[in-house]
Amino acid sequence: MTVDYDPALIGRVFETTEPVPVTAEQIAAFCAAINETNPIFTDEAAAKAGPFGGIVAPPSFAVTFRNGRHFFEHIPRYGKQGFDAGKDVEFVTPIRPGDAITLNSHVKEIYEKTGRTGSMVFVIVRSTLTNQKGEVVAHVDHRFMNRP
Amino acid sequence: MSTTLDLHSHSEASEDSRAPLEAYLNWLKLRRAERPVDGVVLTEHRQFNKDADYRALEDKFGILVLKASEVETDYGHVLVFGVNDEMTRRFDFANVHLPAQEVIDEVARMGGVAIPCHPGRPNVGLCEHYAKKPPLENVIAVEVLNGGSRKGEDERSVELARSRGYRSIGGSDSHLVSLIGLCATRFEAEIRTIEDLVRELKSGEYAPVDFRPRRKPVPHATPVEVKQA
Repeated sequence: MTVDYDPALIGRVFETTEPVPVTAEQIAAFCAAINETNPIFTDEAAAKAGPFGGIVAPPSFAVTFRNGRHFFEHIPRYGKQGFDAGKDVEFVTPIRPGDAITLNSHVKEIYEKTGRTGSMVFVIVRSTLTNQKGEVVAHVDHRFMNRP
Repeated sequence: MSTTLDLHSHSEASEDSRAPLEAYLNWLKLRRAERPVDGVVLTEHRQFNKDADYRALEDKFGILVLKASEVETDYGHVLVFGVNDEMTRRFDFANVHLPAQEVIDEVARMGGVAIPCHPGRPNVGLCEHYAKKPPLENVIAVEVLNGGSRKGEDERSVELARSRGYRSIGGSDSHLVSLIGLCATRFEAEIRTIEDLVRELKSGEYAPVDFRPRRKPVPHATPVEVKQA
């Protein structure tokens, strides 16, 4: 690795949000917004007979939870230019009505690469979503590109 | 018996690819008539996955899978075939500023072969660096067909190979499942192992092959007379 950074940055949680409650109404509104019609997400009787024994949120519901107000202040920057280079989401446990979701964020990885347009430094920030029981429900990796 | 290999591909082990190897092999099996490729070489970015074992997938699909690496140097990107422990101890593959001449010479000394890829590409290709710095020595081949090339890049690579007397290879540089096998290299000899591949790249007979579909020319628009009301 040639990009210069403090190794102590990696893995250290820099932000923990307040728990955000999840309701069946929020899940239903999300389903309506994305035109998701599977009844296991909205109909209690159908969900009870389904694989999860009750209503769960669609997997992509995990990306609706916002990071804290100071999230971007903690992301290492290299150079003056950069942009959001995408997100990877790993779904672990279904989110259910009644859950309270907390986000913990840390810098997962910093690496440099070269391409057609020149050198780039990528910073990966991982937000881990946990429910009120401490179970991980999802990981969201935010990929930020910097132009050194 | 000849062997056709896609010498340049990236699976999900590379940070900028989302393509599982199994999906690549399944796609090649389904597209065998259009892309008659006998095997793929995984050239993951800035790393070598020594412990990865793909034999079960090779057996399932009947397609050879070999492992190599794409490293980044002061003369652009270079494919390293025949990676071994001595090479990974000698070079930090994550370093994007590796000295190209040392990579080429040391890899050869350690039993492998290093081949600059997409030389016609801006910033990360040999052509641009040759315009500013002395040419590298001991280059035996360059990648003249790259599935990710933009207009003019492969043409610059072909001209470089012609003018410098380099031999030519092809690879898809695939990061997406549907692009695997679009460019490849046909060897006259049978290749079953990475040692076979290194031997053939150094002294065998081979040529790049292009399986990209030809684009149909856009028909000229026929003027239509507009009648005034």
